[in-house]
Amino acid sequence: MTRAGQRSVVAFRGDLFTGAVTLVIQVMLAIAVWRTVYAGRPPVNGVSAETAVAYAAIAACLQSVLMPWQFSSLPMRIRNGQIATDLTRPMGLMIQVFAQNLGTLIARAPLGAIGLAAAAVLRALTLPPGWPTLVLAVVATVGGVLVAMLCNLIVSMVTFWTLEAGGPLIVYRFGSAFLSGSLIPLWFMPGWLRASIEWLPFQAQVYTPVSIYLGQIHGREAVALVGVQVVWVVALTLLLKAIWRRAYHKVVVQGG
Amino acid sequence: MADQSLSWFRQYVVLERAALRAQLQYRVNFWTTLIGGVAFQGTQLLFLGVLLAKFGVIAGWGFPEIAFVYAMRLASHALYVVPFGSLIMADFVIRDGEFDRMLLRPVSPFLQLVTLQFRLMTLGDALLGVGAIIIFGLHAPVDWTAPKLAYLVVAVIGGSLVETGIQVFFCGVAFVSTSTFSLRVFADSSITQFSGYPLTMFGRGVFYGFCTAFPMAFIAYLPATVLLGRTSEVPLPTWLTVASPAAGLAVFALGYLTFRKLLPHYSSPGN
Repeated sequence: MTRAGQRSVVAFRGDLFTGAVTLVIQVMLAIAVWRTVYAGRPPVNGVSAETAVAYAAIAACLQSVLMPWQFSSLPMRIRNGQIATDLTRPMGLMIQVFAQNLGTLIARAPLGAIGLAAAAVLRALTLPPGWPTLVLAVVATVGGVLVAMLCNLIVSMVTFWTLEAGGPLIVYRFGSAFLSGSLIPLWFMPGWLRASIEWLPFQAQVYTPVSIYLGQIHGREAVALVGVQVVWVVALTLLLKAIWRRAYHKVVVQGG
Repeated sequence: MADQSLSWFRQYVVLERAALRAQLQYRVNFWTTLIGGVAFQGTQLLFLGVLLAKFGVIAGWGFPEIAFVYAMRLASHALYVVPFGSLIMADFVIRDGEFDRMLLRPVSPFLQLVTLQFRLMTLGDALLGVGAIIIFGLHAPVDWTAPKLAYLVVAVIGGSLVETGIQVFFCGVAFVSTSTFSLRVFADSSITQFSGYPLTMFGRGVFYGFCTAFPMAFIAYLPATVLLGRTSEVPLPTWLTVASPAAGLAVFALGYLTFRKLLPHYSSPGN
């Protein structure tokens, strides 16, 4: 199932290629924006220009891998009735969809790598302060990926009730771009906004791994943030299960 | 001639009404999509707000100025996306062979593409565009006079023609290339993310690129410098900057010409 998801992305190589070019250009422009914003300014809120630029570049790459334009085939399957066949397979539907989304993610990973390479060429990247930080950042990235995939899947589930999910998906897509800290790091947000965002799962997707990597959050605080990710993974899995149990009885098979 | 253009308009109204009815079937989707339209463009505005609250200015431009440029972009985007938004679906229509059927019908294929689907999300764009231009227009450091208002209206129309022209151009390209969807998404999101900035800050070379190859500068930035009295920052002759809304006609004509030129190259995917 994972392989199938991978293949369905690779099949449209042209799109993947333009996706890479797009990301490179957007990373370049984002770097330019943050360099202009700082323009010789001393560190703001304890964040130096180099860190802010590196954050913008890495976050843009991570976000583009986590949020493909079509992040699950579930809405389409529900709309065209394919869901009936899926349900008869000897594997749980949630596992099927999850595996497929994982495949999409893996196939898109090189895209992020290309974006990062472009950022490196522009000297926008910084190295983590040490090995332990790097290891923790990798763990946090895996955590972020899991949280993002669970969120994507939960939002796609709305389709079982509304049949047409373009709206919720778009609200989610752009809402999460802001709330995950991929547009602007939480460091620069006003206190009240930051405090409310910290209660949401989205910050675990991008903000947590990138700020750990940059050493902006370290020591016990960093470990605590990874702990928060684990809590979210458990909570979202339970939520997904509960939603799926109810959705199972709501399935409408469209078209015979 | 007059007769024919009237019937074109009637055709448009009839087809668009049918498309709207088709979309209103799904109630929840209607409302969430509307909010989706606002969220799409709104997050960028939110981003600019948070950024400028912290940093004050970008390349010498404060929040009132940048928000005004962004509001102009939102208004012209709304003017493009409400009538022409479904052009973004052209790829799928061509790939699935649905376009075969369009060629058989006695209505211009261009008109059919335009009225393919009424995209509800665009009403959210319209709401945001009108709201933003009123609010940020009032807060912008501009002494509004009748000629300036007229210039603003012309500039917004010009900007919407630039965006429409770019999308029509891609529709034409779709006849000869299998997938232009990611190119369109790229064009759309680049315009959303970056057309609000003072574009000269990206460097002279990139700025000239935004005036030619990817004519994003005409959408809001250039006419905004005229209204904000900042034409001296633009590395172009002042008269050219002032004439920037006219670029809308040129870009649209170029896009439509490409569409007509490449239309005969369409070959059915066969099914």
